Amino acid sequence: MSRLVFLVAFFLAAPAFAHHSAIAEYDLEKPIKVNGTVTRIEWTNPHIWFYVDVKNPDGTVTNWGFSGAPPGVLQRRGISRSSMKPGDQVVVQGFRAKDGSSNGSGDTVTFPDGRRVFTAMEGLGQQR
Amino acid sequence: MVTKRVVALLFVALAGVVSAQGPSKSTAIPRAADGKPDFSGIWDNPKPRTARGPATVFDRTKFPPFKPGGEAFYEPRTGDPRHDEPRAFCMPSGFPSAFLGPYPVQMIQNAKTLVMITEFMRVTRIIPLDGRPHQADIEPTYYGDPVGKWEGDTLVIDTTHFKRWSLDDYYYTNSKEYRMHSDAFHTVERLTRVDAGTIKYDFTVDDPKIFTKPWTENWEFKLHPEWEKTGLYEMVCNENNRCPGGQCVKQ
Repeated sequence: MSRLVFLVAFFLAAPAFAHHSAIAEYDLEKPIKVNGTVTRIEWTNPHIWFYVDVKNPDGTVTNWGFSGAPPGVLQRRGISRSSMKPGDQVVVQGFRAKDGSSNGSGDTVTFPDGRRVFTAMEGLGQQR
Repeated sequence: MVTKRVVALLFVALAGVVSAQGPSKSTAIPRAADGKPDFSGIWDNPKPRTARGPATVFDRTKFPPFKPGGEAFYEPRTGDPRHDEPRAFCMPSGFPSAFLGPYPVQMIQNAKTLVMITEFMRVTRIIPLDGRPHQADIEPTYYGDPVGKWEGDTLVIDTTHFKRWSLDDYYYTNSKEYRMHSDAFHTVERLTRVDAGTIKYDFTVDDPKIFTKPWTENWEFKLHPEWEKTGLYEMVCNENNRCPGGQCVKQ
């Protein structure tokens, strides 16, 4: 069974947990950060999905699925569908799916040139 | 003579104070042809004045005591997405939770009707403004039966006949705390456009099966004229519904 070694993740300053998710929820105790190649993008409602091939230490590859905000929310943030393409090398930060699958919230995507896009659904922040 | 000079000086001083506060916010509010305040425009979601985060939930410090049996307000997860997260498969969000998420709200008003639409799943409320009574003997619905009437410049929207559903999205903060209003849920919204950019939005929750008395949140809508260019974006939830019928599928 392949095991992924997670890079040390830091908690993002901005409230970044998913407002709601298509699979279940994401575990805020399990931040993740993966590095890989974008293979597929579904720029659709209710959430965008993008998939990243991540090389494991043992040489195998796991295809991770990440969900983000709806396209309209991203558009309003200045992020269009042309922001990311299959083949892009990216670092994705978010939180792992509660069911333990290779899925996560795709909250921040960083490109090799340092460009960063904030693809998260905005959560409740400090509202209590 | 002295009195007139003092008054004149006071006016000058006051003008100085006012102008020292910077450009004054326009207090003139748009009015419809019938003289009523016009709420039309694209606003952000309602938020507390002092804590304008992306999404809004009810402030628990304002909750009145529960009636016996009112603990049903808090409902644990069952593991079934049809209960735990119906929006995961594009079921309604309920009221007012659908309007409290981080999405714009468009209001379109004419003399007879106010239409309130949130970008979130294009949930739409169509509110008659003629002061009619509630319908009788109708089925409860996710968004209830709203009726509106004017009290001076304040629009009062009274809504009843709700299905039992979640009140807000507090479970994203604490997954042990679903807040399910009962089917006796009754809301009163009071909208007053206090200046060109702000609607004062007092939201009263009255759920006599759960709480011993009603309580009110004092929220605000803020106008975003810059959103008029693109309007509300379309959001067809079923476009990529990953949990059709409540059965979530993996990639």
